[in-house]
Amino acid sequence: MMMSMFMGFDPRRAAKFAGLGLLILFLSWQHVQATRLGYQVESSRKRARQARSRVAGLRLTLDQTLSPSMLAARASSMGMVAAAPESLRVLSSGATDAHPSRPLLWARNVMSLVTPARS
Amino acid sequence: MDLGLRLTAAACLSLSPLAPLTARLAYLQIFKHDNLSVRAAGEFARTAQEATPRAELLDRKGRVLARSIPSWSCFVDKAMVKDPHAFAARLAPLLQIPAAEIERKTRAAQRFAWIKTHMGQAEFSALADARVEGLGLVPAQERVYPNGDLARSVLGLIGTEGRGLAGLELSQDSRLRGRARRLEVIRDGQGRTIYKNLTDAGDEPPALSLTIDRTTQYLAEEALKEGGEKRLFKEGLVAVQDPRNGEILAMAAWPPNPLRNSFVQDAFEPGSTFKVVTALAALESDLVRPDETFSGEAGKWQISPGVTITDHEPEADMTLAQILERSSNIGIAKVIERVGATRFYRLARAFGFGAKTGCPLPGESAGELKPLSDLTRVGLAASSYGYGLAISPLQMVGAYSAIANGGVLWEPKLLLDEKPPVKVRRVASQRAVQDIALMLEGVVEHGTATSARIPGYRVGGKTGTARKIDPLTRKYSSSAYTASFAGFLPASQPRWTILVVLHEPKGAYYGGLVAAPIFSRIGRRLLTLEGIAPDRPHDPALGTAQR
Repeated sequence: MMMSMFMGFDPRRAAKFAGLGLLILFLSWQHVQATRLGYQVESSRKRARQARSRVAGLRLTLDQTLSPSMLAARASSMGMVAAAPESLRVLSSGATDAHPSRPLLWARNVMSLVTPARS
Repeated sequence: MDLGLRLTAAACLSLSPLAPLTARLAYLQIFKHDNLSVRAAGEFARTAQEATPRAELLDRKGRVLARSIPSWSCFVDKAMVKDPHAFAARLAPLLQIPAAEIERKTRAAQRFAWIKTHMGQAEFSALADARVEGLGLVPAQERVYPNGDLARSVLGLIGTEGRGLAGLELSQDSRLRGRARRLEVIRDGQGRTIYKNLTDAGDEPPALSLTIDRTTQYLAEEALKEGGEKRLFKEGLVAVQDPRNGEILAMAAWPPNPLRNSFVQDAFEPGSTFKVVTALAALESDLVRPDETFSGEAGKWQISPGVTITDHEPEADMTLAQILERSSNIGIAKVIERVGATRFYRLARAFGFGAKTGCPLPGESAGELKPLSDLTRVGLAASSYGYGLAISPLQMVGAYSAIANGGVLWEPKLLLDEKPPVKVRRVASQRAVQDIALMLEGVVEHGTATSARIPGYRVGGKTGTARKIDPLTRKYSSSAYTASFAGFLPASQPRWTILVVLHEPKGAYYGGLVAAPIFSRIGRRLLTLEGIAPDRPHDPALGTAQR
């Protein structure tokens, strides 16, 4: 049987060999691609980390800028003073569903305008 | 010869040298596979860990109090450094560290040494581009507190290993710390990393919200800071609680110390702020009539041979309301004789004195309340005006919140989670508590705490001044005091209970003179910020400002 295998040129057998060769080539190519992608993933991870670091740094700057002590310092440097309760003018009865006891004076929730939504 | 046969023969001849190689490969793959794959993995493959950021700490409105940001640390492997002097000279301008210091670390006995930690993105990029041999870069997480020292005695701090050392960072450590992400990577011949796969996605913990309000905390700290910086007192504390549910809105301490939280860890003799407990015990059992008077004994009363109780001002006859307004030790000592030790002790325990509050901060003190059996006549009299016992500031603010809300003691709540506030117990009947609350308004209106007044608003509270024990002589000091004021506002519908405690005030030392103004200052700012309409619009002190 072995001898019969080597006897004569069989196109089907040649095709099988060619297919096997192509498979080996494909696997080699795939391995090279996987390695190349591995480098890219690693490089992207580094870039992502740097971007996260940058975002965190910017958020920190924002938080520090909006910290009460910083705001108070800037307000006082602009000549502002803290208001006394008797200086408030109540513009409405102020009974809203969200704040039943809070009169509608002016918008205070500035943070919601400047802070990006958190996931 | 047949072409096929010739081709086969040629193929066999050319492939025959590969036969031993094939056999060897088969042997290695089949019989030595496990052994060799482990060795190969050890040679090239690595498991890399990516530190997960510690959870953020937020205030009750979602504003950041503590956050972790990516950072880098660099180290030296001195075995790979040929010339420490040149190594240090190259790194010094990049790291902004003196070259001599880098060289000293590089020449140290140990092979490994940290050169710099908590490096930012710019420093990391500069070092990575420089490719200095012997220098390693490790990603890490840095804990930052964007508001500086704000609420640091509550937040605490973490150590270099990323574990909590004090405050909520310690008590909530397991909740704040995430699980690191693990990756399998391999290294090529040049040491570059190739990503292989993710073995553990890690776990990034969600942010932890506190009941602390950043603005209220700031106002409390600012009010303390002014006196603290002028050295008007040695140590100051301000606690703000919502009496409607026990939520802690602020815990301010001067000087700020992230390693210690005096609100829960320390106990002090409260002095006259404790008189409300005695007065409430009398009212609860209907032992004192509203118009009944007690003799002030002209300021000196010998309760037993050798023991004399004194008042700071000689007083004539006083009703219970006047005893509180004038903060008379003699008057309240006479009241407690009628109340008795059992009723007093039971009410003090009902207020939570002598027991831990359940606050999620480490190292809580239960305070000290003498056992009922140890309460002699003199000891009971001293306890009636807040001597001979020790309480934590958190217990005191909780007790005044119970008076403010009509008699319900709430567990102090510091974490804003799904759990509803815990109602501990009703300490006394609503009628008796309301009577006490009205008397406390009188204390502010025309008693010892007039400097706690806020024009247009009803305010209730009580001053306290207690001598401190000299740690050397173990006797009451004649020069060191604890001044305090505890109160609530607006008294018609209390929103805030504020406790101010000043240890060792300089100059004036009465609670009404030094602690009550701080209460008033914080109260005014809170009322303004929340836009609370005056509950006493016809107050003459309001003048024409309010229409």
